[in-house]
Amino acid sequence: MNPNKRLGFNQHVILRLPSNNFKIVELKPDGSISLGKFGAFYTNDIVGYPLGTTFEIYYDGSYEPDEKNKNRTPIGKVRVMNTGIDQSDLESTPTPLPMELTNKMSSATNKELINIGNEIQGMTMEEIESLKKQSATHAEIISKMIESHGSFHKKTVYSQEKYLNRKKQKFSKFFTAEYLSSSAMLQFLLEKGDVQRVMDLSQESIGMLLNLGNIRSNGQYLCVDETGGLLVYAMLERMFGGQTSSALEDVGSIVVIHENEHPNLDLLKFSNYSDQFIKNHVKAISLLDFFEPPIMEEVKQAFKPLSKEEISSLKSGKKNAYYRRLKWYNTQLQTIELSKHVEYDGLIIASTLHLPTLVRKLGRKVHGSRPIVCYSQFKETLLELTHVLYKDLNYLAPSIYETRCRPFQSIRGKLHPLMTMRGGGGYLMWCHRVIPAPDPPTNLETTNGNGTDININSNGTNGNDTENDANGMEKNSHGDATAPEMNKKQKTR
Amino acid sequence: MSYFSEYKDLIEEGDLALVWISRDNIKPITIDAKETFNTRYGSFPHTQMIGKPYGSQIAIRTKGSNKFAFIHVLQPTPELWTTSLPHRTQIVYTPDSSYIMQRMNCGPTTRVIEAGTGSGSFSHAFARSVSHLFSYEFHEVRYQQALKEFEHHGLINRDKTVTLTQRDVCANGFAIRPDDITSHKFGEIEEQLSINANAIFLDLPAPWDAIPHLEGVISKDEKVSLCCFSPCIEQVDKTIEAMEKEGWTEIQMVGIQGKQYESRRQMIRTLDDAIERLRDVKKRKSDGMERRKRLCDSVLNDDETKATDEKRPQTEKTRFNPFGKGSRVKEGDINYKWKEVTKVESEVKSHTSYLTFASKIINKDRNERTVKTLLEELEKK
Repeated sequence: MNPNKRLGFNQHVILRLPSNNFKIVELKPDGSISLGKFGAFYTNDIVGYPLGTTFEIYYDGSYEPDEKNKNRTPIGKVRVMNTGIDQSDLESTPTPLPMELTNKMSSATNKELINIGNEIQGMTMEEIESLKKQSATHAEIISKMIESHGSFHKKTVYSQEKYLNRKKQKFSKFFTAEYLSSSAMLQFLLEKGDVQRVMDLSQESIGMLLNLGNIRSNGQYLCVDETGGLLVYAMLERMFGGQTSSALEDVGSIVVIHENEHPNLDLLKFSNYSDQFIKNHVKAISLLDFFEPPIMEEVKQAFKPLSKEEISSLKSGKKNAYYRRLKWYNTQLQTIELSKHVEYDGLIIASTLHLPTLVRKLGRKVHGSRPIVCYSQFKETLLELTHVLYKDLNYLAPSIYETRCRPFQSIRGKLHPLMTMRGGGGYLMWCHRVIPAPDPPTNLETTNGNGTDININSNGTNGNDTENDANGMEKNSHGDATAPEMNKKQKTR
Repeated sequence: MSYFSEYKDLIEEGDLALVWISRDNIKPITIDAKETFNTRYGSFPHTQMIGKPYGSQIAIRTKGSNKFAFIHVLQPTPELWTTSLPHRTQIVYTPDSSYIMQRMNCGPTTRVIEAGTGSGSFSHAFARSVSHLFSYEFHEVRYQQALKEFEHHGLINRDKTVTLTQRDVCANGFAIRPDDITSHKFGEIEEQLSINANAIFLDLPAPWDAIPHLEGVISKDEKVSLCCFSPCIEQVDKTIEAMEKEGWTEIQMVGIQGKQYESRRQMIRTLDDAIERLRDVKKRKSDGMERRKRLCDSVLNDDETKATDEKRPQTEKTRFNPFGKGSRVKEGDINYKWKEVTKVESEVKSHTSYLTFASKIINKDRNERTVKTLLEELEKK
């Protein structure tokens, strides 16, 4: 069974609840999962169905209440619901009237409607609670509530729909079990209020970062991730799509540079990649080790790997000590190798460290023509970065990007942008690593025959001295009409 | 491996490379030792590029004026290609395409249908990330151009990630058979190409005519995502109608707004300096007035000797000019203080299209026996 398509055992999935809250759960065999007021269910009952299926929890009265723990949510049975639940279903139903409202009177305007608060509801809290205890379905409860509502007929049909949907959110017992994509994980964190933890990232910014960074399954990427692993997870998903087959074992990897002794990739615990897979494809190295790697001679002096025969002759206590040292030795070797590698296929950063120093230092390790993408919650930090990179001939055309998604109420005849949406979403800096050329000689005809070869012993200046070309080409990394004097020269744009 | 899917180290003969002249001027070239890349700033022989690493700056002295001129040679990526490609139609830009790919969770397990191909901008981005892309174009000339381009870029033959088909999907659906005009090479016993798409992108004037044809070509045992790309709200309305009728759920429409910022500098001009400058102007003015007054007085007193004695003083240049008034100051001049600021690009793509998303699971059953076997296997462990 394909875990990318169907709900499987020991898989992490994300559950969407009627309240539009999210919950990440692991589907343990023979286990049960409680969703609080929305009910509880056995994992065995949902495994095997396609990811994205919506289930309704129902109680046919056959369950036995837990004597020891009365507050425990009773575990019900599940059945597949035929329509998915989503924002549009809950906020307002499509143009044809919902079943529940077809036989109800409504008013053209709300002229007659006077708000007297809770009094208008004929049923008391106790009555509703007892209905719930009798395991009535949400439809029964809502229908009773509408019957007992004193002025339901005075509401407009729109307002009735809203009422209905509010009650559905409250009394419905269903959930959708979705694939745990990086977007879903982000939504989960945002819903939980962990906006700061993910540095105010939005789905559209992650998407744009992955595309601008040209993330593919065969790249070696340098990454600084202060979002607790969300960024690394998004990269892994784009690179491997949840596949952990051996065919992909040797391809791309992410080298995570971290500022603490250990990396914080906590969110990867929710991922469905095996520990071994993550070990193979995500390599962590601290800033110190990256810039001041251990010295090979010292490492080799401190430890010498033994041959197979020698190991087998060791006593068990000594053997353990040996393997501990061997692990240390291998980590040291890996650290040396990773820090020596200077041809990374991309640099992806979401960090609050001072960017001009961070990017320029890590940028040295990036191969020419490869992208550098830097995410920041604030435009100003990227602004400082772009100004610094402009002057550096190793970076081509740094610029700041912003992308924002505006969701709409998506009902026929009532299409309009939602009245409120999340602000923020951060900014991206995108540029390419380039390799500056030495200055060509001033007089081509006299120095050599064909007059085209670059003479290394040029007499011109190089570096940060900008030398303007009268034709509008400037020897710096602008590559664009960003400075006003260049605006004048370049007719395009 | 194609020029798009392989990370290349050095620029080699026969490579497809992008020459970056400026942000708005990126040109695709095929590296050929006999060729020269000409710009209005000078000529760049390809021999100067061959053997250098990608990303190298290639510099020359222009003939005659002997000025410095340069270009950068880059390896193509879908995003760079989007900014340099020959427009055959309106194209899907990176803010939209990247959002769509992220939202539809595109990765190595995704099988995508794209209609129509258009200029192939989005096709390149899809092809980089997904398992397979089935792209449809109904316009014959555009199909031929796209076919040539995709073959040249290695997307069809080398990477085998793209199947391009000439088809009006609204009229004739998506199924691909041996007698169709398609890049797919059919085997002898192969009667129909298996598509099994789990992500669909429809960039068509009337997506509602294509939606009913999807049923037969989408994956049946998993959740399938659909995105329709339409500029008008009336199209969205009709699209939603078709989606609902065909059993698509989780319908939501969004709009994406992408912006690019210029990094600029604004001179810091303090109030004190402004006042000081006025004081300076005022002083010089009053100096001049006093001199004139004295001159006037001496004329009135017929004291001609005195009047001719006092020479007209040289008009001094302003002694205090903190903001460089009167001279052209370059933004960022180190003799002045600057505040770093951003400015949104002068023309913004304020509306590209509406994106209407939906999803569908055709078969919502499970195989009870599979689940039982799984459980038994787990127990054994």
